[in-house]
Amino acid sequence: MEDLIKKIKSRLHLRPEAEEFLYSISKEKTLSKGEVLIRQGQTVKKTFFVTSGCLRSYCIDKNGKEHTLLFAIKDWWISDYIAIHTDELSTLTVECLTESKVIEFNAKELDGIHARFPEFESYQRHNLERHVVSLHKRILNQLQLSAAERYDLFLKQYPDIEQHTRNFHIASYLGITQQSLSRIRVEKVKK
Amino acid sequence: MKALQIIKYGEIKDSLAFNEVSKPTVQANDVLIEVKAAAINPIDKSIILGNLQGMLPIPLPSTSAYDVSGIVVETGNEVSNFEIGDLVYSRVPQEQMGTLAEFVAVTSDAVSKKPGNISFEEAASLPLAGLTALQSLEYAGIKENDKVLIHAGSGGVGSFAIQYAKAKGAYVYTTTSTNNVQWVKELGADRVIDYKTEDYKSIAKDVDIVFDTLGQNYSLESFEVVKTAGKVVSVVGPLDEASAKMFGMADYKLPEELAEASSEKNVEYKFIFMHPNGAHLNEIKSMIEDEKIKPIVDKVYPFSESIQAFIHLASGRAKGKIVIKIH
Ligand SMILES: NC(=O)c1ccc[n+]([C@@H]2O[C@H](COP(=O)([O-])OP(=O)(O)OC[C@H]3O[C@@H](n4cnc5c(N)ncnc54)[C@H](OP(=O)(O)O)[C@@H]3O)[C@@H](O)[C@H]2O)c1
Repeated sequence: MEDLIKKIKSRLHLRPEAEEFLYSISKEKTLSKGEVLIRQGQTVKKTFFVTSGCLRSYCIDKNGKEHTLLFAIKDWWISDYIAIHTDELSTLTVECLTESKVIEFNAKELDGIHARFPEFESYQRHNLERHVVSLHKRILNQLQLSAAERYDLFLKQYPDIEQHTRNFHIASYLGITQQSLSRIRVEKVKK
Repeated sequence: MKALQIIKYGEIKDSLAFNEVSKPTVQANDVLIEVKAAAINPIDKSIILGNLQGMLPIPLPSTSAYDVSGIVVETGNEVSNFEIGDLVYSRVPQEQMGTLAEFVAVTSDAVSKKPGNISFEEAASLPLAGLTALQSLEYAGIKENDKVLIHAGSGGVGSFAIQYAKAKGAYVYTTTSTNNVQWVKELGADRVIDYKTEDYKSIAKDVDIVFDTLGQNYSLESFEVVKTAGKVVSVVGPLDEASAKMFGMADYKLPEELAEASSEKNVEYKFIFMHPNGAHLNEIKSMIEDEKIKPIVDKVYPFSESIQAFIHLASGRAKGKIVIKIH
């Protein structure tokens, strides 16, 4: 939690009451590999800040196959934001790929923090903007880049991730088959 | 709920019927699975025909089949490893047989999360055949560079066994007929023997393990191709003495010729009767997710056409597994 507080403090003047409030709506948790934080079809009240380890969010299509939306490593947030912001049941599942440490927040309280502490307004807007940028980039990359290019970008974004993930997690993040991923890897080694 | 039931022993088309039955209730260690897909196996056919009345007595009517994939919708009080919403697959235990239904209750020990990279239909195809292959080859102590003969490489058990043996680093001989040779080769088998045109005994010699999925004369012939001190594991041939005891036949003796062949070559003959096992299914899940093994599905039938699915199975010509989509 100290790390996150430090990060916030580098961006805004955090009053002691606000810091206290952050503590009051959060809980640090150590999770084991395979633990599921959110299951599809449930109501979602929590959002998670990752302090170590690696988590994955994915949807399951009607045939039962998983499609990875996001990997979250240190300093990333993860939850089902569709469910949180629409009050619908979750369409995503969030699971730990490794032993992980997270700070669990009550999502509604955290979202509404700017109402009590206006200094969070620009901070939250900034975070949201960055989030939109990264989502748009992910969509555009999906539309215009080759699978090999997307894989390269993926490795830049998540440098150490391959030791924690299964091939099918990465293939389903990139939207390609596991065979294509293997082919791309072989080509990369040749280069 | 709707279920496909065995109403009497006899011909498939006369012995199966769709019935309205009550939803199974959940015991402390059970999960209730909403069935997405089920798969059928030769044993289901043998039960319907009445061939297993002695060994596996069932009340009539009984819902058919053992293989399932689906979603957990309820958990018993003592279940800690599954939650509602989990996507799972299982070969259900004998007492809980009945996956050709909208719901099935299964003891959680026999259940595993399903592999995430395949469909419900593909997942349903795996448990019984996969566990049979895994438990048989594991019993035989399969290891790198072993030479293994797997009969009926195009069948449900064989197609899994080939891939499992290759993943363990073995050299695989397998038998099938002309039309299947090409795709069975693509599963990774090193030498596919076309039993229509070739004599497998002159090709597979001195193998470490014979996996007999055919029975009849093949069980005894296994001793001609296995090396001294090798292993013969069969899932169709005569019972061995220990297995016979398990089925309550205390005085059973291995057929004489088999016993002789076995002692002459110092080769253990073992009959494997597969058992439900969630931990083994979890192992299979990893191998599927890593694409070391791919599910081989011949055909998916809608629930309403289950009887046709059984007729297909009974032809003995299935290429991989026959699956029935329930939901
Ligand atoms: N003990 C146990 O626990 C256990 C568990 C599972 C299965 N089993 C038994 O194991 C056997 C195999 O099961 P399965 O699910 O794999 O059956 P299956 O899928 O119905 O087997 C069909 C396949 O067998 C092949 N085949 C038939 N005759 C052959 C021959 N003479 N040589 C080579 N291949 C031949 C066919 O290929 P072609 O069309 O090319 O001939 C076909 O692809 C069954 O008898 C089953 O009852 C026992």
